[in-house]
Amino acid sequence: MARQHDYDDDVDQEEDVYREDEEEEDEGDRRKRRRSNFIDDDDYGVGSGRRRPRSRTASEFFDLEAVVDSDYDEEEDEEDEAHFHSPCNNGAHMVLHDDSYINLMVESSALHMQNSPCPIEDQEEDLEELTRSIQKRYARSAHEEYDDEATDVEQQAFLPSVRDPKLWLIGQERNVAVCLMQKAIDRPELQIRSVVGLDHLQNYIYIEADKVGYVREACKGMHNRYAANIILVPIKEMTDVLTVESKAVDLARDSWVRMKTGTYKEDLAMVVVRVDDMGQRVCVKLIPRIDLQALANKLEGRDVPRNEAVIPRPRLMNIDEAREMNIRVEHKRDTWTSDSFDIIGRMSFKDGFLYKTVAVKSISTQNIHPTFNELVKFCQLGEGGNGDIASGSTLFANRKKCRFMKGECVIVIKGELMDMKGRVEKVEEDIVHVRLDHEDLAVVVFPILLELHKYFEPGNHVKVISGSSEGATVMIGSINGNVVYLVSDSTKETLCVFADDAVESSLVTSGFSRMGKYELHDLVILDNNDFGVIIRVDNEAFQVLKGVPGRPEVALVRLREIMTKIEKKGNAQVHYKNQLAVKDMVKVIEGPCEVSAVEYLFRGVVFIHDCFQLEHAGFVCAKAQSCVLIGGVHGDPFSSRIANLRTLPRVPQSALGSSKGGQPMSCGGRDRGGRGHDSLIGASVKIRLGSFKVSRNLILDNVNASTSFREPFRYGLGSETPSHSSRTLLHSLMTPIRDPGATPIHDGMRTPSLVRAWNPMSPPRFGVLRFPDIHWFTLEKCRDNWEDGNPSSWGGSSSQYQPSTPRSWAYEAPTPGSGNYINTGTPRDNCCVYANSLSFNLPSTPGGQPPMTPSSAYIPGTPGGQPMTPGSGGLDMMSPIGGVDTEGPLLLPAIVVHVRKSNDNTVIGVIREVLADGSCRIALGSSGSGETLIAREIEIVVPNKSDKIRIMGGSQCGATGKLIGVDGTDGIVKVDDTLDVKILDHGRFGQVSACIVVHSNSLNCISCDVNHESVSVNLSFRFLWSFIYLALLRNRKEDINAFLIP
Amino acid sequence: MGSQTAAQIPTSFGHELRACLRCRLVKTYDQFRESGCENCPFFKMDEDHERVVDCTTPNFTGLISVMDPTRSWAARWLRIARYVPGCYTLAVSEALPEDLQNLCEDEHIPYAPPKRI
Repeated sequence: MARQHDYDDDVDQEEDVYREDEEEEDEGDRRKRRRSNFIDDDDYGVGSGRRRPRSRTASEFFDLEAVVDSDYDEEEDEEDEAHFHSPCNNGAHMVLHDDSYINLMVESSALHMQNSPCPIEDQEEDLEELTRSIQKRYARSAHEEYDDEATDVEQQAFLPSVRDPKLWLIGQERNVAVCLMQKAIDRPELQIRSVVGLDHLQNYIYIEADKVGYVREACKGMHNRYAANIILVPIKEMTDVLTVESKAVDLARDSWVRMKTGTYKEDLAMVVVRVDDMGQRVCVKLIPRIDLQALANKLEGRDVPRNEAVIPRPRLMNIDEAREMNIRVEHKRDTWTSDSFDIIGRMSFKDGFLYKTVAVKSISTQNIHPTFNELVKFCQLGEGGNGDIASGSTLFANRKKCRFMKGECVIVIKGELMDMKGRVEKVEEDIVHVRLDHEDLAVVVFPILLELHKYFEPGNHVKVISGSSEGATVMIGSINGNVVYLVSDSTKETLCVFADDAVESSLVTSGFSRMGKYELHDLVILDNNDFGVIIRVDNEAFQVLKGVPGRPEVALVRLREIMTKIEKKGNAQVHYKNQLAVKDMVKVIEGPCEVSAVEYLFRGVVFIHDCFQLEHAGFVCAKAQSCVLIGGVHGDPFSSRIANLRTLPRVPQSALGSSKGGQPMSCGGRDRGGRGHDSLIGASVKIRLGSFKVSRNLILDNVNASTSFREPFRYGLGSETPSHSSRTLLHSLMTPIRDPGATPIHDGMRTPSLVRAWNPMSPPRFGVLRFPDIHWFTLEKCRDNWEDGNPSSWGGSSSQYQPSTPRSWAYEAPTPGSGNYINTGTPRDNCCVYANSLSFNLPSTPGGQPPMTPSSAYIPGTPGGQPMTPGSGGLDMMSPIGGVDTEGPLLLPAIVVHVRKSNDNTVIGVIREVLADGSCRIALGSSGSGETLIAREIEIVVPNKSDKIRIMGGSQCGATGKLIGVDGTDGIVKVDDTLDVKILDHGRFGQVSACIVVHSNSLNCISCDVNHESVSVNLSFRFLWSFIYLALLRNRKEDINAFLIP
Repeated sequence: MGSQTAAQIPTSFGHELRACLRCRLVKTYDQFRESGCENCPFFKMDEDHERVVDCTTPNFTGLISVMDPTRSWAARWLRIARYVPGCYTLAVSEALPEDLQNLCEDEHIPYAPPKRI
């Protein structure tokens, strides 16, 4: 206590200095100055030579009085100003004072306060006020110092200012902090204020001083391991230096810890007791990892070389067994706890557990999440009877952090609402908002820790998010409290996890896509000479769809049972004696009607991959003979559109002369897709335009990724085939842009199909051309190619549709418009890819199907086989994020056009269908009732006011609306769906014939967002589901969250 | 240095260092036992040696030597500016046992338990 008075004295002296200095100044100024010093009470008296002999003025007394008051406050804490005792009454307060002068002062001032409420007679009036301010000041500082509930706001009052001493970082060992303390005591002239040594900063200390010179002076003579480099800590960082997380070492009995080092590294242990007073060592109990034989050998002095690298498995110590091996076991009773231990060598065992005394530093105590299995071991083996695992007893005390996610089902386990179920609405730091399944209850807030469990129904599919089986999806078998018993989807093993560690998942995936050298969707030969496609990769096994045509046969295959992997190749005769090749579109005519791309051909068996199939990862196995090549030379009764195309003599037969001749025609892009398996792999692309502009390269390093980027090309080229890429969601994703995209690009499509016949590498380049927003290294080159190839293709084509009109040329050119549309697809593709890496096989909509296949019969995923018009209006849903400004009008079905006939006459007609090559099937007559013909040279009929129109470009391309006004070249359009009123350029919409029903049966991309590292896409299937993907590009497998929102 | 008498300086840097749970003064166990805590004499650690274990902890984080508490920003920030010069810790991880908190209350000594993070 004496020191506090000393301190007061010290301050007083300094204040006196001020007082005298300011005596002459006017009162207002003085007060101002005083106030400004409220907090920074060491702002003055920096220099040492400022102490002058006191002149005893009245003000001095008041000062002191204030100080005493504060001092008093400090001790008594809650006394208010008016309630003063003489400090003398407080023995603790005054006893130790040896400075009689101060003593006297204190007494007199206290007396004064007690006895005379009125001012001392010779006192100036302003002093009273001064007194008050000083009282206030000191009262406050005392308050600040000792407020129990110091808030951050108050702490902020202490934030360093420029007038405070500075912190200097200097390379010294931490112990120097203590040495400097001693030094400062020995040499009071040292001008340093404090020295800070931090635990995590071993070889540096901070010295607080006003000048760097003081720091140097202080460090003089200290052993200096490092260059005397003194760094000034910026003011903003000063508080950080002193802010340490107090290590809440909470080593209560029975808490879980993990060993950090040694044989038991990473092993779970339970704290038994603290060993020493200092709390630096604890006794923990572990499941021993002891090789009894080795132990016996050692104890008997036999020197048997041991493989040190092998750590024995954890196993409870069996004392009898040890005795049998002639290991000497002593029985001892602990003097403190009177527990009996079996002592072998220097190890203590009890109930089979090893009791080990370890330093606190060698165990990790934070964030210990024992897995279920570990706990079971401890529980069952150790405590015998009370092993009710699910009861959440002390065993689970450490399992604190439960990870809830919005939308999850939870059950209340405590309190009045016990056993109520609900869904998580919102998760905050410590609390969860839950909407309970009860009409009367709104959202209830729960503390996150103890009152909620996740709730699952048996049969739910969940994904395990931590522990040994992390990533696997499993089905809930049964639930016991917080423990769920699961059945692995693939291996059919049962496992137990905590409910916390599971999240509901509609995916049936394992999170793995490869094991050994085999990857998902690889064609492999098994050791019994069977073969099949890997349709699932699990923790330890593959699921293989065997190549048995007719019925799906899935085998569970271990890694070692796989002999080899077969690269994609092979031809086979198919129906109608067609040659079939990988990536061809086929239709299975025996069995289910699948139209899909051939993924593998092997021994006459075809594996077709159909992304709209949920089963077997979309693979279907069929005999090659039972497949019909779609678009093949021999025709295809199922696809009139293809037939249409096929009859177009535009594509010279010579170009189709090869065995694959039929394909390029119908599926201009498909082959590209096939080639593309290697075309862009590893390529680095950069999206440089549009809403997905990102400033860095996306390295596409796997097949799937590259597929995705190929996809736009395909569509960009106006090709219609989704072909093999059914792996990805791409089709669906691309749907919105197909129709609009198709028109301008159709012409282009021919080019690659022709060129491709001779130059297999060219298609991707064209793709690039058509995808102007991706930089690719062959960009320039392919432009040349394209230009070269084009005329030739024209030359080779029939003259029926003269390509020489400016319009078609315009379409062929990689117009910004088409580029924009394509562009919109790209990032989404990315997402798909990642989704795909989870083998995300979603049932899709016709969107993904080739637009050529107008009938929903081909679309297994569409509920009810949504009938579509041949125009497949569904395909015209535009991505709302499409380029807005640059694209030209896109021909859409149902638009009324003028068709130019050969003799310069024009007739009115209605677009029924936009064909793949850019021409349109047009029904003549203003209502589209007349004969149909196929034409390329068409002109959009400009709608009049109050006509029903269809928007042909921009973000709402495809939408229908009503033209409610015309203003110059702008049209004012009221959009049907949204009832928005838009102003559109006149060329952007066309009159709609009233008789055509527009279906919007497609997948929409609602929003896409690419930020620095992630792509999130919000998609909605009109008829199926909504998907949200959040794919982090870096850790794509782990970080994809896919939610299925019914 | 101010005019205050400094607390004892820890005589070793080893494991026997302990910090007072109230004022965070750091000394060795023996020092606490022999002369108590300079800031918290009411704990009477020098008289009751059992008290040392109760009132002090070996679990603390960081060390600060405060030469001049009244004029040190760091001391003010850490709210030890009113204590005697000496070695303190930046943070202790435990709270004072309840009976000793009551003691503080009885003595009108303010006590602020460490903030748990």
